[in-house]
Amino acid sequence: MNLRPEMSPSEVVNLTRRDFLASTGMGTLALASLLAEKGYAAPSADPLAPRASHFAPRAKNCILIYFEGAPSHIDLYDPKPKLNTMTGQKLPDEMLEKVRFAFIKKEGVRLMGSPRKFTKHGQCGTEMSDLLPHIGSIADDVCLVRSMHTTQFNHHPGQLMMNCGSPLFGRPTLGSWLTYGLGNESRDLPAYVVLHAGRGSSAGASAWSSGFLPSSYAGVLFRNQGDPVLNLGNPPGFTDEMQHLGLDAIGDLNRLRHKHVADPEIASRIGAYELAGRMQAATPELMDLSKESQATLDLYGVGRKSRENPGGRGGGPETYSTFSRNCLLARRMVERGVRFVTLLHASWDHHSNINQELPFCAGMADQPIAALVRDLKQRGMLDDTMIIWASEFGRTPLGENRNSSGVVSGRDHHPFAFSMWLAGGGIKGGQVIGETDEIGWGIVKDPVAVPDLHATILRQFGFDHERLTYRSQGLDFKLTGFEGARVVNQMLA
Amino acid sequence: MATHATLLALLTGAALTLSAAEAKKAPLDLSKLPPTASAPVDFARDIQPLFAAKCYSCHGAEKQKGGLRLDIKVAALEGGDNGKVFIPGKSAESKLVHALAGIGEAGIMPPKDKPLTPAEIGKVRAWIDAGAVWPDDGMLAVKKSDHWAYQPAKRPAVPGTGNAIDAFVRARLAKERLQPSPEASRPTLIRRLSLDLLGLPPKPEEVRAFVSDTSPNAYEKLVDRLLASPHFGERWGRHWLDLARYADSDGYEKDKPRPFAYTYRDWVIQAINSDLPFDQFSIRQLAGDLLPNATHAQKVATGFHRQTLTNTEGGTDQEEFRCKAVVDRVSTTATVWLGTTMGCAECHSHKYDPFTQREFYSLFAFFNNANEKAIPAPNAEEQMAYDKAKQAHDAETAKLKTALDAYAKSELTSKLDAWLKIASLDAVPWRALTPDKLAAKNGTTLKADKEAVITASGTLPDKDTYTVEAKLALKRLTGFRLEAIDDPDPKKGAGRSKDGNFVLTKFGVKLFVPGQFEGKDLELATAKADFSQAKFPVEAVLKGEDTAGWAISPQQQKSHVAVFELKSPLDVPEGTRLVFTLDHQYKETYLLGQFRLAATDAAGPLKPDFTPDAVAVALAAKPDQRTAKQTEALAKYFREQVDEQGKKLQAVIDDHAKKAPAPSATTAAVLAEEPGVRKTFTHVRGNFLDKGVEVRAAVPAVLHALKPRAAQPDRLDLAQWLFAPENPLTARVSVNHVWKILFGRGLVGTVEDFGKQGEKPTHPELLDWLASEFPRLGWSRKALIKSIVTSATYKQASLNRPELQERDPNNLLLARQNRLRLEAETVRDAYLAASGLLNPKIGGPSIRPPLPADIAALGYANSVKWIESKGDEKNRRGLYIFFQRTVPYPMLMTFDAPDSNSTCARRERSNTPLQALTLLNDPVFFECAQQLGARMAEVPTADAAERIRHGFERALARPPSAEELARLLKLYEAQLKLAQANADGAAKIVGAKQAAPEVPEKATLIALGRVILNLDEFFTRD
Repeated sequence: MNLRPEMSPSEVVNLTRRDFLASTGMGTLALASLLAEKGYAAPSADPLAPRASHFAPRAKNCILIYFEGAPSHIDLYDPKPKLNTMTGQKLPDEMLEKVRFAFIKKEGVRLMGSPRKFTKHGQCGTEMSDLLPHIGSIADDVCLVRSMHTTQFNHHPGQLMMNCGSPLFGRPTLGSWLTYGLGNESRDLPAYVVLHAGRGSSAGASAWSSGFLPSSYAGVLFRNQGDPVLNLGNPPGFTDEMQHLGLDAIGDLNRLRHKHVADPEIASRIGAYELAGRMQAATPELMDLSKESQATLDLYGVGRKSRENPGGRGGGPETYSTFSRNCLLARRMVERGVRFVTLLHASWDHHSNINQELPFCAGMADQPIAALVRDLKQRGMLDDTMIIWASEFGRTPLGENRNSSGVVSGRDHHPFAFSMWLAGGGIKGGQVIGETDEIGWGIVKDPVAVPDLHATILRQFGFDHERLTYRSQGLDFKLTGFEGARVVNQMLA
Repeated sequence: MATHATLLALLTGAALTLSAAEAKKAPLDLSKLPPTASAPVDFARDIQPLFAAKCYSCHGAEKQKGGLRLDIKVAALEGGDNGKVFIPGKSAESKLVHALAGIGEAGIMPPKDKPLTPAEIGKVRAWIDAGAVWPDDGMLAVKKSDHWAYQPAKRPAVPGTGNAIDAFVRARLAKERLQPSPEASRPTLIRRLSLDLLGLPPKPEEVRAFVSDTSPNAYEKLVDRLLASPHFGERWGRHWLDLARYADSDGYEKDKPRPFAYTYRDWVIQAINSDLPFDQFSIRQLAGDLLPNATHAQKVATGFHRQTLTNTEGGTDQEEFRCKAVVDRVSTTATVWLGTTMGCAECHSHKYDPFTQREFYSLFAFFNNANEKAIPAPNAEEQMAYDKAKQAHDAETAKLKTALDAYAKSELTSKLDAWLKIASLDAVPWRALTPDKLAAKNGTTLKADKEAVITASGTLPDKDTYTVEAKLALKRLTGFRLEAIDDPDPKKGAGRSKDGNFVLTKFGVKLFVPGQFEGKDLELATAKADFSQAKFPVEAVLKGEDTAGWAISPQQQKSHVAVFELKSPLDVPEGTRLVFTLDHQYKETYLLGQFRLAATDAAGPLKPDFTPDAVAVALAAKPDQRTAKQTEALAKYFREQVDEQGKKLQAVIDDHAKKAPAPSATTAAVLAEEPGVRKTFTHVRGNFLDKGVEVRAAVPAVLHALKPRAAQPDRLDLAQWLFAPENPLTARVSVNHVWKILFGRGLVGTVEDFGKQGEKPTHPELLDWLASEFPRLGWSRKALIKSIVTSATYKQASLNRPELQERDPNNLLLARQNRLRLEAETVRDAYLAASGLLNPKIGGPSIRPPLPADIAALGYANSVKWIESKGDEKNRRGLYIFFQRTVPYPMLMTFDAPDSNSTCARRERSNTPLQALTLLNDPVFFECAQQLGARMAEVPTADAAERIRHGFERALARPPSAEELARLLKLYEAQLKLAQANADGAAKIVGAKQAAPEVPEKATLIALGRVILNLDEFFTRD
C-alpha cells in the first residue's frame, strides 16, 4: 500500500497554473503513471501535464485527415491498367465464395475499371490519379501505403478500427492515446482538437472519444458556427472585465476553501478555471485568419467556391472553403502547441455516381492538403508534424450491382486492400509501400494491418505500443489490441 | 481477353487476403516429426514424468495456458481453447506432437525449457498411437485457487464493541497509530447525506430544521426521511444504470433512438424505491422472464440485458452483432455480480484468473437462447388516458350509428323505393375468383378468405412475385379486375410498405384449358384504375419493367381498383383455369397486402368500379323479378353508395372510426427464452465465423457448483446460482459497490475486478462482515446503506490533516471522509435545485434539454433529431437526459458520465477547463445563476451582505465565513460599478428588455450567484 505523498496540498495551492505545469515534472508524472496503472488518475496531478514518452520521439504533433466513407483506392492512389482491360468480366466463383460483401449481389457482378488517368509525380515517380494533381506535387514528401487492410467492412466498425484499433464502441481514439501519453504542450488550448466540414459522419462523437480513458483525453470539437468551442463565450451581457472579476473571485474563494480543507483537488480546480480563462482569450486569436497573408489564404484555397456536386453527398457550395480553412487552422493549432488535430469530412461512400461524386470530394481535399504539407515544410514544422490521410477501407474493383435499375456506377466496401498515406513526423517520403494485385483486390506485397500502422505512428511519437497501456475493467488495453502488431520500419526516415 | 483461369492465376501468386488467419495456415511438414518409438510405452512410467517435467508448469494445477491442463485425465482429454490436443491412434495428427516437435502454429513446446529429445517425442507418439491409454486417476478437473476472493466469506468477529463498521476501521487505524476524524458539522452532514442518498442538495429550511433538532436521534430521523424519499430511487437507480450501460439509442452508425428505453429505467427507480431485495432485484433483471408465472414487471426487468448495442448499418451481418451482444451480456454479468473480468476470455483463456475460454462460452450458452423482444408497456398515465379516450370515442360512435339507423328507418325508405324502380344495370357484373392455389416466390404467406380476399403476411421480403390459381366459372372472358383493399387498421393501407403503399410492376394471366399441357398467356389490351399515383400509372403493369408499376400514394388509406380488358373476348370450355402473376420488383417491401381478383364476361369498355357482384347481378335483373335477397343487397348498396345523405352519415361514422384512440405504443425491451437450444461453440480468437469446440451451459469450475432445476440449465439457474450462500463473490462485490458510492472508493479499489490483477481489500474483515451482513438484512439495500451512513466512519469530517497527508494521502485507511466532486447528473441537479428551477417529476420518457443544432447534426447524415423538450420538462434531473450514443449530451461527457457502451462500475472524476467553461457559460447553468441572483434580489433588505449571505446559504447549506463574505462584498462593489457603467450589458445579464434603475444591482447579484455556483465547494460533496 502506498502511503507516501508526492506533494503537500499547501505547496500545490500556492503555485500558479504555470508553475504548476512547469514544476510537476517527473515526480508527479511517475505517480500519475503509477496510479494510472492501477486504474486511477492521480488525485491531484494534472492529467494533461506534458510528459515524456518511452524514448525520444520523432514527431510532436499529428494532423489526422479522416475521410469517412472509404475513398476508392483504385480511382485515387492505386492505378490498375489491367483492370481497365477487364471491365465487364466476371470474377471466378472460387474468389467470390468466401467473401462477404456489404451490398454487392454475387450473382452477375462484374469488374469495373477506372476512367482516371494516372501520372508519375516528383523525383520518386509515385503514380497518382488526375483527381489529385496538388497532392501529386508533394509526392516526394508522401509515404503512400497501397497495402493497408482491415478486419471490418461496415462503416462504423471500420472507422472505430482505424481510429481506435478495435471495431467495438467505447475505446479511445489515436488522438486520445497520444494525449494520454504525451500530455498538452499548449498552455491555453486543448491538446486534442477536432474540426469537421460538411455533414456528420457515421461515427458521430466516437470519432474523437476518449473511450475508457478519462474525458480529459477526448477531442474537443471546434465548431463552424457560434462559439468555436461550446460555451467558450461569456453569457450575454458579460464583458471580459466582468468575467475576469468573477474568475478572480472564484480563485480567491477556492483558495480560502483550500486553506480550510486542504484538498489537492481544489488546487487542480483553481488551475482548471485559470486555464479556462486563458482559453477564452487564446481561442479567438487562433480562429482569426485576418493576419494570414492573401498568398497563404490562396495557397489553401480559403474562400473558394465548391465545384458542382451532382450527388449532394460530400457537401454544398461552402464545403471547399470550410475544408481549406480547417487545414489552415490545423497549422495554426500545431504552431500553438495543440498535440493532435483531426480534420473530418463525410462522405466518400460512393456506392453509385462515383465518377461525379468522387471528383467533388477529391477537388475539396487536393489543394488544401497539399498546401498544408507545403506550408508546414516552409516553416520547418513538417519534421515534427505528422500528416495522415486515412479512411476505414477501400472500394471494390467490382461494380456495385445493388439497385435493380441495372445501372452500375459505383463500388462497394473493400476491406482486403486500400491506400492511405503519411507525411512528415519522421516518415520517409517519396516512397510507396506495398502492392496490390492487378485488379486492386488483394495484397501481393508488404501487407500493413491497421494495428501495424498504429504501432508505427506510436513509435514516431516515442512509444513502444506494447507498453502504452491503460487498465480498464481489469484488462490492460493498448491501441494495437491483443493480436499483436509490428512497426513498419520501411515507413521510417 | 482474360479467362477465369488466367485471372485466377494472376491473383493466386498472392495470398488472397480474405482473412489474416487463413493466410497464416501453412501446411505442416510432417516429415520433420521424429519416428514413433518401437518399444511398448507405459503412461505412468514413460509419459506422465515427461508431462510433469516439461508441461505441468504451464498446463497443470497452477496455470492452464491456452485452457489446457495435462495433469488430470479428464481435462487432458478435453484439450484446450482450440480443441483436443491429441487424437488416440493418430499421433501424426495430434497438435501435442506438433507442438513438441515445433512444427505447429503454437511454435515449439515447452517454449522456454529444453525441448524433448526425438526419442522422447517418439515415446509420446507411440503412446498416442497405441490409443493414449491413461489409467483412470479418478480426478475431476476441479480447480482450486488460493486467491482471497474465491474463498468463502466467513463472518469475522467484530474487534470491539459498538458499531461494527467503526470497530473494524478503528482497529486498523489503531495499528497505524492514527486517530479518526471528529464528526462533520451538521450542515455538512445534511448536505452530504442529501447528495449521497438523493443526489440533491438540502433545501435551506431542511438545513435549519436539522441544525436545530436537538433530539438524540435527529440524524437517524434524517436518514430515514431521505431513504423514504422517492428521489432515492433516482439517485441509486442512476448508479445501477451505469452498470446496466443504459442509453436511449442503438449505438453505431444509424444510432436509432430507443424511445421507450425509459420503461426499464422506470422499473429500476421503482424497484429501488420499494427496496426490492437485491437478490430478487438481480434475479428479475437476469431472468425475470423465466420465473414461474412471470409478471409484466418481472419481464420488464430483463431490460437490463437489452441495453446492449445494435448495429443496423446497411450490409452488416446481424449474427455478428447478436454474438457481440451475447458476449457483452456475459462480460457485464461477470463484472456486475462477480467482480470478474471475463472480457478477455472471449478470445483466449484468462491470463491471470482461473477462467478458460471454454468457460466463457459455457456462460455464453446461458444467454445464447435469449431472444430480443418488445412487449407493450403503457405506463399508468398512458393507460388511463387511453381508457378515457376510448370510452368517449365509443360513446360518439354509438350516437352516430343511432343517427344513421334513424335515417334509414324514416326518410330513406321512400327514397329507396323510388330508386329501386328506376335502378338498372350501369355496372359490369364481376365474378370474384376464389383461389385454390397461392404461392409467393420470396416467402410471403398468402391466404384467401371466404370472400376471396387474399391477404399477405409473415415474411416481408423486399420484392416478391405472387402466383394465384383459380378455376373460372364463366364461359366467356372479356377482362379481369384487381381490387387493392385497404387494411381495416387505419395506420395501414392496401400495401405492405411502411407507408401502406405497393408497386405492382407486372400483372399477367395465363389460361389453362383442360387437356392441354401448355398454358396460354392472355393478351391484355388496356389497364385502367380508379386512381394511380403520379408517375406510377396502372398501364405500366402491362409492360412489366422492374422500375415502373402501379402505386397509390397518397391515397393508401383507401381501397382501389384496376381493370384489365382482353384484346378480344374469349370463349372458354368448362374447367378452364387461370394463373395470375402479380410481380413486385420495385424496391423495399412495396408489396400488395390485401387484394381480390375477379373476372367478367360483360362486353366492354370495362370501368374501374367496385360494384359488388351481388349488386351487379341484382341490378341486371328486372325490378319485379328480383329476389328478396337481391332487394336487400340493393338497399344496402343504395344506402351506403348511392344516397347522398346516407353516404354522408356513413362517411361521418367512417371518419370517426379513423380517429379511434390508438393504444399506447410504449413497449419495453425484454429477453424471452427461445424454445429449443441454440448450440454454442467457442469462437476462435473471438471470431463468430470461426467456430471451435461445442460447449454446454456451465459455470466456471473454480466457483461453487450450479444446481440447475432441470437437465438443461438456463438463465434462471445462473441468476439463482449467483445468490447461493456458498458464492464467495456476489455479496462481497455488491457491498463493495455500495461502499464505493458512500466513500468514493471501494474497500476493494477495483470494484470491477476482484481477480489477481485487482487490488486487495484495504479492510478484508470489514468487507467480509458486510458481505455476511447483507443477506442477513434480507438483501435490503436501504438497510445496508443505513447501517453504513449511521457509522461514525461515514460521519467523519472530510478535512485533510497534515499527518494524514503524510501517512495516507489517498485516505485508504479512512481516518476521514473523502471530498468527492459530484457526478455529471448531480452537478446539473444541484444547480437546478439551488436556483429553484428543478422540475422534480419522477420517471417517464427522456428529455432533451437545449443543445446547439450543429452538435446534434454531427450524428450520421443528420439522422439525430434533437427536438428540445418544452416548458419545464427541460429542467428535469440529469438522469432523464436522452442519451444518444453517437452524440452524447456534451455536459454529461464533460463531467465523466459513462459512454454507456459497456458496463461502468467506476466513473472517473476529472477536473478540466471544459468543466469550468460549462459551469460558467452554458446557458442552462447561466439560467441557474440568473435565478439564484433573482432569489438574492428578493430578500427584503437594503443590505448587500444580507443578500449575499442568503445566496451563499441556499447553495452551500452554510453561512459564509467573515473572510468569504468580505471577498464577495468586494466583488459586489466592483461588479456593481461595471454594471452601472454598462446599462445595456446589465440589462442583457438580467434578461430585461431595457435599462431600469434596479437593473445594475440585479445584474450584479446574478454575477455573484454565478461565482457562488462556480465554487469548488458547490459541486463537491464534503
